[in-house]
Amino acid sequence: MSSAPKDVLGNKPPDGGWGWMVVFGAHISIGFAYSTPKALSIFFKEIQMDLGASYSEIAWISSIMLAVMYAGGPVSSVLVTRFGSRPIVMTGGLMCGVSMATASFGTSIIYLYFCIGIIGGFGLSLNLNASLTIISKYFLVRRPLANGLAMAGSPVFLCFLAPVNQYLLATFGWRGSVLILGGMMLNCCVAGALMRPVTPPDKWTSFALQTKVEQPNEHNTKIKRSFGKNAKKFLDLSFFKDRGFVIYLIGNVMFIFGAYAPIVFLSAYAINQGVEKYSAAYLLSIMGFVDMFIRPATGLIANSKWIRPRIQYFFSFAMVFNATCHLLCPLIKSYTFLVVYAAFFGIGFGMVFALIFECLMDLMGSQRFPSAVGLVTIVECFPMLLGPPAAGLLVDVFGDYKYLFFMCGSVIMTGGLFLFVMNIYNYHMLDKEKAAKNNKQGPKDRENQDQANASEVEMEQTEINGAQQDVENAETVEI
Amino acid sequence: MTCMSTFCVFLHLFLLTSEASSSTQPPLAPITPLKTDVRSIKIELVNPVNLTLECTWTGNQNKLPNITSYWTKDGEEIQNSQLSVQFHNGQYNIKQVQHFVSIVSRSFPSVPQIGEVRDKPIISYMGDSAVLTCKMDDKKPKPNTWNWYRHNGTEKEQINVTVEPHRYEIKNKEEKTETRLVVNNLTEADSGLYSCGAVYAIGTTMSHVELKVIAFMEPLKPFIVIMVEVVVLVAAILLYEKSQSKKKVTTGS
Repeated sequence: MSSAPKDVLGNKPPDGGWGWMVVFGAHISIGFAYSTPKALSIFFKEIQMDLGASYSEIAWISSIMLAVMYAGGPVSSVLVTRFGSRPIVMTGGLMCGVSMATASFGTSIIYLYFCIGIIGGFGLSLNLNASLTIISKYFLVRRPLANGLAMAGSPVFLCFLAPVNQYLLATFGWRGSVLILGGMMLNCCVAGALMRPVTPPDKWTSFALQTKVEQPNEHNTKIKRSFGKNAKKFLDLSFFKDRGFVIYLIGNVMFIFGAYAPIVFLSAYAINQGVEKYSAAYLLSIMGFVDMFIRPATGLIANSKWIRPRIQYFFSFAMVFNATCHLLCPLIKSYTFLVVYAAFFGIGFGMVFALIFECLMDLMGSQRFPSAVGLVTIVECFPMLLGPPAAGLLVDVFGDYKYLFFMCGSVIMTGGLFLFVMNIYNYHMLDKEKAAKNNKQGPKDRENQDQANASEVEMEQTEINGAQQDVENAETVEI
Repeated sequence: MTCMSTFCVFLHLFLLTSEASSSTQPPLAPITPLKTDVRSIKIELVNPVNLTLECTWTGNQNKLPNITSYWTKDGEEIQNSQLSVQFHNGQYNIKQVQHFVSIVSRSFPSVPQIGEVRDKPIISYMGDSAVLTCKMDDKKPKPNTWNWYRHNGTEKEQINVTVEPHRYEIKNKEEKTETRLVVNNLTEADSGLYSCGAVYAIGTTMSHVELKVIAFMEPLKPFIVIMVEVVVLVAAILLYEKSQSKKKVTTGS
């Protein structure tokens, strides 16, 4: 750690050590966040029978939970920048646990919408945002790997929760199961406890070296002032002036629109092709299983010195790969090939999700990331809610599943190609701006550019170039 | 019913519905003829019918002018079914008409099965209300009424709503395709096997559902265990961190 160059901000991310415990905590937190809405669907039939509601009414529980999880992003960002990750994740875990426990007493569907959907969803949104933020604070050089490992929580927990939920349902009925699920979600509080803040302000002066004291303090007060400004705005719309951000947002919206529909309809498509019910359900398990391993693997690949500087292109490649899988799916008729499709779908999906937040961190830098991610998630709420029903509509109108896959594949492909082309343009413009600035200002003024666009990318380039030796040494010694 | 099946080339089935005394209804069109290799046919009936079985044989090498035919049921010859049959137009036509009021319900699996059968027990809590549902497939004929039974050991007794109106409620859908039994104020004694019966003119078809009543303490125990585990882990992590930072402060940088 000591051989790494002193970076501009003065607080060097630990990139290891306690950071791996933080990644473990984020893994649990993100795992619950993404898998709970899906795992709840196992209880729907029982709840439907007990409360006498229709299936679509019950299915709204999951949709509301997901929607609130994404829509709560901006509020969550503000809270995280103000209070830090640890108290937020612990609060989120507590909220989720309490929401499920109260839901187990529910007698009406509206009560469940409120408890599980709104309160539970908000708790998950606190978890998600805070976990991602703390990773960006703890890691820089190994950040793609840390992100890949943390995001792997989603398929891992889904694989784990699905059989557990089945068992709970058979033993305790849906009420007891929801209660126990709430208890399990309290473990997010444990995850939160692991998220030790990186530079606790009062301890900074006691152990930093003298030479480091003045610079970081100056920067800390500057940063604190800017945090204050941003915290006051729930939706910091100035992000929309950032070219890289807008490009990322458009590409992502297109991806999210097409991403979830194939998952929702995969079993139905398989059954339509004549596959037996249990075998069709296995397809999703295969996809989840492959996803579990692909996410950390992608993180590892993205961390390599060839890919890291071009991570945005790698992200576009992942999206195009995903799209190609979907476009080829209608040609598949036999079960064996459907299994192959499910595996490749898992690969593509896992690759994109491992990189989705890493790329945003790469663009925004760790200070602006919390607010950025809040804005991204609330915008992504709309394609996420509209995607599957739109796809379902296509199936109903044309009576054929192939149009669903064509639509999803083409939308994702457009998104991927858009990102690829626009990133080339963006990097080109950034290089031009950097060259222009270098000609105008002297080298000392570079330190003030940490608020501007190019800084994070530039900093990472210098960090990476300078820290390459460090990384190579560390990788052979650690983990 | 089979005629001497080794010789039967065609077996036509003519169905005549008979509602009580009216016999003026025209015969229905024949169901497609069975080939020699088809050994059984399944007919779904709701009401008793008159069934006509016709057997056609094109004869063998020795084309006798007349033969004696008889019908068997379940392998035994039916009384008074022996007939002398003429060889006419290249075939022997052997016919048997029966009123199948009682026979039909025993011979043919004619009563539709209930569509929704649960293989897993329904779990409910003490003091809560449980809803047991039985559904008949939309495509199948609708039952006249539904009955609910409670199994007590080997016997089953019908649930009479009027005896205990607060405890049991039976709600049937308008179209009679679905029935719901609501058991209020559950106790442990309510656990057990329940059956719903769809009543038709020819018989009742049953489906079973198991109800398990458990106390709320049951799921509460694992919940409390997990809660304790969470509190212990959080406390351990925070204490560990405090001790680490104390060490750093005392030993200096």
